Amino acid sequence: MDLTYLLELSVNGALAGLMYSLVAMGIVLIYKSSSVPNLAQGSLVMLGAYIVLAFSNGLGAPMWMAIPLAMAFMFFAGMGIERLALRRLAGRPIVMILMMTLGLDIFLRAGAMTIWGGSGRPMRIGISDDPLFLGPLLLNRAYVVGAAVTLVLFAVFVLFFRTRRGVVLRAISDDYMASWSVGISVERGVALSWALASVVATTAGVLWGSIQSVDQSLSTLLLKGITVGVLGGLDSLGGAILAGILLGVLESVASGYLDKLLGGGSRDLVVAAVLILTIMIRPHGLFGRHDIERI
Amino acid sequence: MTATPTQVPDEAGDEVLTLNNVEVIYDRIALAIKGVSVQVPRGGMIALLGANGAGKSTMLKAVSGLLAAERGLVTRGEVCFMGEDIGGLAPQRRVKMGIVQVLEGRRVFEHLTPDENLVAASAIHGSRHDMARNRDMVYTYFPRLRERRAAAAGYLSGGEQQMLAIGRALMTQPKLLMLDEPSLGLAPFLVAEIFDIVRRINREEGLSVLLVEQNAVAALEVVSHGYLMDNGRIVMHDSAEAMKKNPDIQQFYLGGAEGRNFHDIKHYSRRKRWLS
Repeated sequence: MDLTYLLELSVNGALAGLMYSLVAMGIVLIYKSSSVPNLAQGSLVMLGAYIVLAFSNGLGAPMWMAIPLAMAFMFFAGMGIERLALRRLAGRPIVMILMMTLGLDIFLRAGAMTIWGGSGRPMRIGISDDPLFLGPLLLNRAYVVGAAVTLVLFAVFVLFFRTRRGVVLRAISDDYMASWSVGISVERGVALSWALASVVATTAGVLWGSIQSVDQSLSTLLLKGITVGVLGGLDSLGGAILAGILLGVLESVASGYLDKLLGGGSRDLVVAAVLILTIMIRPHGLFGRHDIERI
Repeated sequence: MTATPTQVPDEAGDEVLTLNNVEVIYDRIALAIKGVSVQVPRGGMIALLGANGAGKSTMLKAVSGLLAAERGLVTRGEVCFMGEDIGGLAPQRRVKMGIVQVLEGRRVFEHLTPDENLVAASAIHGSRHDMARNRDMVYTYFPRLRERRAAAAGYLSGGEQQMLAIGRALMTQPKLLMLDEPSLGLAPFLVAEIFDIVRRINREEGLSVLLVEQNAVAALEVVSHGYLMDNGRIVMHDSAEAMKKNPDIQQFYLGGAEGRNFHDIKHYSRRKRWLS
């Protein structure tokens, strides 16, 4: 057990973790704008990846064109989901909304299975399989690209939430009724957050799809995404980034050492432990807001 | 009792808001207000008084359009703003026309700073220039907010939050400002301060104000006329001076019942029926 091995596990874990952050970012976007925890984000990732393939393999568009086209498609798909499934639930108890997102998740997975079947399809975006050498460390090139994209999107959204429109979205998430009272179009704001989250999901779908191929299992990224989201605090973009790195490192190091002892499976154990412990010890996460109580 | 609106001048044709025989039903069964008629003159400042549960907030929401979010419905009568029937319009259309309601309990955006609260409320009007000007106006009327512009609004004091809620409403460039129980939970000196500022805004900006209050003492000091609501009906409409002198109002709302215990008042109230 040398130090290089530990370091390599940590760095690759951190990079993979940032790609979990990308999934979490979609969840945070919606939560931050409407206080809805979206359990369908994993399915949106999967759907985004399939749509990219539909444009590239199905319609023959080159990849550099298929990805933006799929993003545009998913932007409107996200709006449509909000309009058809969630708008009528605005102001209803959160349990009902949560169940609706769960229903959406099941629907999207079943729909994808019907349309595209269960076999994995490759997503080639031109990242070479050769490892990247950083001193003595071997880095996975696809993870490096994924982490970089995540950080860029993170910066974009941090800036976005400081703009007027971003402030309006945060206001909506704080208080629907007060937002209506000053003329904010709550419905349109929430639709925008779903649209943005769907675009982010497409990005995640492309990156993860290129690593593991595109199939139903992409939707299980929800588990990592929601864990990262909860650990970081569901309304904190920065929290999602840090929590992603943290979870990635933990998972990678733990499985690097424990799998040999336990015979595999420790990855998911780490994720489960993090989610459960966060809810038990610090339910609003590392950086999440908690309801302000004045004395 | 004498509830005839004798001293009320005839302001026909110059009302910013007219409610005509309005009836509101919640959840299709619960009748909340019954045949309410209220007028707010242009540039005027009017109070709507009454006890808890009299239907005051319901009436405001019928005007602002927020009823729908609480499954309430105007089933009879009409609500006219500047002569136009606004019955079927969505809340944001009404805000755009110039109607704004400051909700009971302040309801500031707690996790946003005061500055961001004001920015969020300016979304209805596009121009950045308007926003900056309105924000300066708000900070001029409420200098305290400027000092605390960078703290999360949830950590402001109750008085500051009420100021912010009013300031936030002003960002929409209203013609009619409706305040729902702004005095709730505030110390008397703060209530006086806030009412004075609202009075100034009313005079200087020509903004019409409809003030809904349980605190009749404070409200009657700043308004010209008042309506009294009880059990979903308007039971009195008179000038502020006349209302202050009215023995029934003194009895129930101005603390004139000193020396009697609550049971007596309730008993008295039962014997004494407002109007019908």
